[in-house]
Amino acid sequence: MTRILLRDKLDNCVARWRKAGLTVIGPVKKETFSSYAAVENAAELDLSMIMPDRSIKGLFFPQTEPMLHYTIKKQALDIKDFTPPPEKRIIFGARPCDASGMAIDDPLFGWDYKDNFWFQRRNETVIVTIACTKADDFCMCTSLKLAPDSTKGSDVMLRPLQNNRGWLVEELTDRGRDAFNEIADLLQDGSEPEASIAVVPEKFDLDACVTWLQKTENFESTFWKEISMRCIGCASCTFLCPTCHCFDFQDEGDTYSGIRRKNWDSCSFALFTMHTSGHNPRATQSARWRQRIMHKFNYFPGKFNVNSCSGCGRCSRQCPVDMGITETLQAISTLQP
Amino acid sequence: MTIQETYKTRAKELLSSGRVKMVVGYKAGSTPDRRRPHFIRTPEEADRLILDSACIANLSGYLITEGLLSDEKSVGIFLKPDGIRSLNILAAESQLNIEQIVVLGFDVNNNEITSLKGEKAEDFSTLIESLKEHVPQTPGNPLLERIEAMNDKERFAFWEAEFSRCIKCYACRQACPMCYCRRCIVDCNQPQWVNTSSHTLGNFEWNIVRAFHLSGRCVGCGNCDRACPVNIPLRLINAKMAHEVLGAFDHFAGMSQTQEPVLASFKKDDSETFIL
Repeated sequence: MTRILLRDKLDNCVARWRKAGLTVIGPVKKETFSSYAAVENAAELDLSMIMPDRSIKGLFFPQTEPMLHYTIKKQALDIKDFTPPPEKRIIFGARPCDASGMAIDDPLFGWDYKDNFWFQRRNETVIVTIACTKADDFCMCTSLKLAPDSTKGSDVMLRPLQNNRGWLVEELTDRGRDAFNEIADLLQDGSEPEASIAVVPEKFDLDACVTWLQKTENFESTFWKEISMRCIGCASCTFLCPTCHCFDFQDEGDTYSGIRRKNWDSCSFALFTMHTSGHNPRATQSARWRQRIMHKFNYFPGKFNVNSCSGCGRCSRQCPVDMGITETLQAISTLQP
Repeated sequence: MTIQETYKTRAKELLSSGRVKMVVGYKAGSTPDRRRPHFIRTPEEADRLILDSACIANLSGYLITEGLLSDEKSVGIFLKPDGIRSLNILAAESQLNIEQIVVLGFDVNNNEITSLKGEKAEDFSTLIESLKEHVPQTPGNPLLERIEAMNDKERFAFWEAEFSRCIKCYACRQACPMCYCRRCIVDCNQPQWVNTSSHTLGNFEWNIVRAFHLSGRCVGCGNCDRACPVNIPLRLINAKMAHEVLGAFDHFAGMSQTQEPVLASFKKDDSETFIL
């Protein structure tokens, strides 16, 4: 039996989840900027935007967070671990590309070392995704073999009904089922005609790109210089990306006490690979852009069997010089392997 | 002939005569309203050149790309008056040899594009002087006026909220032609002088450091503002500082290739009203 959540019940849902101790998070549009943010009622949510400017990543992997506090005394070193305070959360209205981005990063954060910061937040968070009914020129999930209604990484998938009436509920995980049991009486049985899912044309042939990237001789191709000539070396593509996950440790304090923090870092920065000696193995911006593409579509899948890109298109949408993964892969897919 | 076609022809001539080795201009972007930088090295590549009212990015920062000018060959570049001013600053601060730069000047006003007569940066000095004459007394920006009307506490709260979004991607720095340091102070990590964390303190540190470094140097091109992926109105900070510097020192950044940097020069009659 399928169940339906009607839009006019959403405010009750938010109230109910909040009463049950969940922080309710969703796409929120401010004057000039949108992101996934905590809300107190359904009216604060903006479910009509294509996607928030910022991805969902920061909710699981904050841009800066403390890891430990240290004090060094004459004879003693005292280290106190930080753990994120427990917080049960529900993200209502995630985009499929954002949700899949989290699933893509799970193996990375759980590989040789299990990152408890990541997994605690993953385990405490229910991701309720709404399938996309619209897309823009930068959306490219289909080129990554995903779709505007991919369920990857989601705990519940909501399929929009016609005339904005609400959503068809598809519970995918136990976490999702528990959250929706909380509001079971606000759902209704039955089915209604679904709204049509966004059409996202395929922009490049991913397999052709991967074949080209895997050829060792293409590592030194002049293509990299050409495509990245206008790259200014900022980190906006990597920081907006739902799957980019590089970080840096920084100690803030002094010799006697301080905090060790984990901060986002980016392969776009020259400093990222700078050696203590001053030598930089990725000396040019083209080498850095090549690394980003190689990592996402060659090295990462080589290790985890999945591309490190969910096709949200934020890298291209918000690039100050109109670059991005789409253009690069489009160009690669036309090159001879 | 349209202005775009005239300039296309000019770019081709510059390249085919060997006068310049490259022309930096604009071409179509990924959506109809976007323009992206175009590095033209052959006359044929000039066919893709676009020059219209959507060409607003200041391209002068590309001139100091490592190695570009080291062979002493000339480079042509499309610049609006703000870009010509930043070119002057780069020359005044010894970042490039201005003799190597051929300016293809243009301006955009009310969505109309006009061509500017001249070829060397100094050919535009009358124009830049008139820009200085016409600096408005009031900011003329509703948001900036709103901020001006705030008391210190409200102003702090305003910027605290704006900076809370900062993710330290440094797109503002990278997009800015004036941020050319080979190693930015925030990248000096032995020791780490400025926190890299994007918490409140770190975000304030970064944005205030940048505001001070741009005082008397910013030409208001808006590259930072447009580059910011979290839409912090960065331009307002720099516009405010430019206004302060103009009032205190009668300094309008980028007047000429020999203009002394305002915060690195001293005049006996400098105003001292701000010294407590």
